Amino acid sequence: MSDLIHAVDSPQEIACAARRLRETGQRELIPPQAVLEVFEQWSAALQAREFEIPGLAFLRLWLRRGNLEPILLRELGPNALSGGWLEDGRAKLRAFPLGVVGHWPAGNIEIQPILSMTCALLGGNGCLVRVPSGLVEITRRVMDKLQEVDRSGSLTERIFMASFDHSRMDLHEAMAQAVDGAMIWGGAEAVSQVRGLAFPHWARVVVFGPRLSAAAMDAESWGDRAERSSWCRRIARDVWQFDQQACSSPQTLFLERGAGCDPDEFVEDLKQAFQEENRHHPRLQIEPALTSAICLARATWLLDSVENGALFPASPDWTVLSGEGEEMPNPTQGRTLSVLVVDDLLKVISRFDGTLQTLGLGVKDAHREEMLAQAAGRSGVDRIVKLGRMHVFSSPWDGTELIRPMVRLVRHVQSQD
Amino acid sequence: MEIEQRIEGLLTVPPYSLAPQQHQDAVLALLKSELEYACERNPRFRNYVNHWPMDFRAAERISDLPFLPVGVFKLNPPLALVDATEIKRTLASSATTGQVPSRVVLDAATARRMTKGVVAIIRDLIGPARRPYLVIDTTENMTARTELGARAAAIQALGSFATEVTCCLRSDGRGESSLDLQKLLDCAAKWKEAELMVYGFTHVIWTQLVQPLQGKGTTLGIPNVHVLHSGGWKRLEQQAVTKDVFVRGVTSVFGCSPHRVIDYYGMVENVGVVYPDCEQGNKHVPAFAEVIVRDPLTLKPVESGQRGLVQVCSVLPTSFPGFLLLTEDLAEVIGEDGCACGRRGTHFRFAGRAPKAEVRGCGNVETTRRGDSRWGAEA
Repeated sequence: MSDLIHAVDSPQEIACAARRLRETGQRELIPPQAVLEVFEQWSAALQAREFEIPGLAFLRLWLRRGNLEPILLRELGPNALSGGWLEDGRAKLRAFPLGVVGHWPAGNIEIQPILSMTCALLGGNGCLVRVPSGLVEITRRVMDKLQEVDRSGSLTERIFMASFDHSRMDLHEAMAQAVDGAMIWGGAEAVSQVRGLAFPHWARVVVFGPRLSAAAMDAESWGDRAERSSWCRRIARDVWQFDQQACSSPQTLFLERGAGCDPDEFVEDLKQAFQEENRHHPRLQIEPALTSAICLARATWLLDSVENGALFPASPDWTVLSGEGEEMPNPTQGRTLSVLVVDDLLKVISRFDGTLQTLGLGVKDAHREEMLAQAAGRSGVDRIVKLGRMHVFSSPWDGTELIRPMVRLVRHVQSQD
Repeated sequence: MEIEQRIEGLLTVPPYSLAPQQHQDAVLALLKSELEYACERNPRFRNYVNHWPMDFRAAERISDLPFLPVGVFKLNPPLALVDATEIKRTLASSATTGQVPSRVVLDAATARRMTKGVVAIIRDLIGPARRPYLVIDTTENMTARTELGARAAAIQALGSFATEVTCCLRSDGRGESSLDLQKLLDCAAKWKEAELMVYGFTHVIWTQLVQPLQGKGTTLGIPNVHVLHSGGWKRLEQQAVTKDVFVRGVTSVFGCSPHRVIDYYGMVENVGVVYPDCEQGNKHVPAFAEVIVRDPLTLKPVESGQRGLVQVCSVLPTSFPGFLLLTEDLAEVIGEDGCACGRRGTHFRFAGRAPKAEVRGCGNVETTRRGDSRWGAEA
């Protein structure tokens, strides 16, 4: 096990770790610029071919200076990189870390413990990260690379990763009591239970709870024979990532009806794209219950109406369920995409509720897209992106900034004035 | 009708006598005819079959035929291949609280075949003689109704072997039942030397017969009994009662040898087919059925020695499309033929219910809808 990931068995271990992290932070502030330098090297170190970790490509891009600098500048202001003060009228503002931030990542996104942690590190915080038991090995491999590049330990001394069984309430409690901020990710049960822990009254808690995502295309896009294959490849990529279990995974694709556009042709192209994606990224294992769920989704859809169609192989590898309808069917996940033809995208999008996180769009006309984005935002959607980029992690996420919530903006009005 | 005659043909041969290829050929041909028939009778089923990745008419193996996941029988109204006027009875599974039960509809012909199928299997196991039948349940659970639960269906299916039937549990009228000890002791005295048949759900036998009798130190002394039980182990596993512990308990109460305690697997959707353990502890497939164990990753049949999801196949139902059903249970294939017990064909062992998919992650909005109480988003 990496030096940074500890198999924790007592609340005292967590309390001691948090105390050390806090002391480190109080001893010396680390400006975002210094964090970015290490991140840049870390990103380069993760290029090695031996890494076959889902989402690692995103992590490499995320860690690049070119990606993070604009986020820092937007969230923390023009002088944020050097950790300097920012003029604000007759006052000055400067971001200071909260202290120690606890991270409760979800178990289904391999790189999430790292992503969550980097947000708080950029704010100069110490990080107490609970690594889900299924992600310990993957996280260790990524963190080993950080240790290699962070020779001075300027970042690693600000990190303590804890591995313990999810049922150990005493350890969850100890984590909660030891932190000044928390970033909580995952399903409804998990986030509700973590949020219900006894955090200090000053702790800031940010929750990234369970969401669903969908995709939508206008007829000019999906009906364009020249572009259709490319769109289908983008959709397949979004479906395959994280085995369609992420909050940003599309579960349903809405196609706006168009004169002379045949949905069957589109679904056939989608099948080709799914087959191709499956060749490149075959599933290596599956829970039997998911296989059952996939078979049940296929059967119930086709038994529901003789108008419904579907394309799927003999294996549970992928499924396209096609038909008409404005309601999002219950998601099956496991690479099962419902493709529904609708008369008016605007009407469908206007009926979304706050459950929907990301809307992946393929729309030809920019003005029309603005209208759809406006409707989506009003209906609770937090991210509207081009198809093929639904999982690209960026700020804001779930409508929330990623770095700013874990810093304090200190206001200084000079006494000489 | 021609299908009817071919089903009868398979019902009349000794259930475990066919060589594997002979069995495969006969069942495959009949299932194809039944699929054709079902497609004619139900357009929604036809829609499903038409979307199957291969045309069933060209299939060379039973495993290539279009199967339904057993969960589709939770749909309302239940899937049927007959008009409502032809339905004689609806069988419902024993769903636990909050779950939707599976329901299958039986016409007269399917109901008749259901009985014949169970009789053929059990006769092979305990012999053809009729005998006293002790039911570890209440009389209320035996009452004939239009909609029949799994327990009642299982009890009634064995009725063909009975010279007389006695239920040894009494109902308190509020849904609870308890052992009628005096009635049981009277039966035991009367049937001391008899070939007795006993049936009950596994957890009912344990909690309402074995535990109370062991508590009182009572033994019944009926060595010639056959104790048949079904219904699964989930509830007993929660009480840490293993199969060995169960069998020891039952044999101590009846005073019989362990091979007279017979666990069988059955499900309402797979009407007329039950899978008792043979002397070797294996389950065998009768002539009118088939079992395929599929790899969850590929859905291809597994080799001997491997585990996977169980698909049960039966030629018996014609009132609902229950020919080829993918269950949510796991099993291990022991062999394709040659079990030491002498029964021919595929033999296998159950390995329990496939665990529910882990409730995981940020895309899991179902948790809130289902009210699942599991802690944690991750494994």
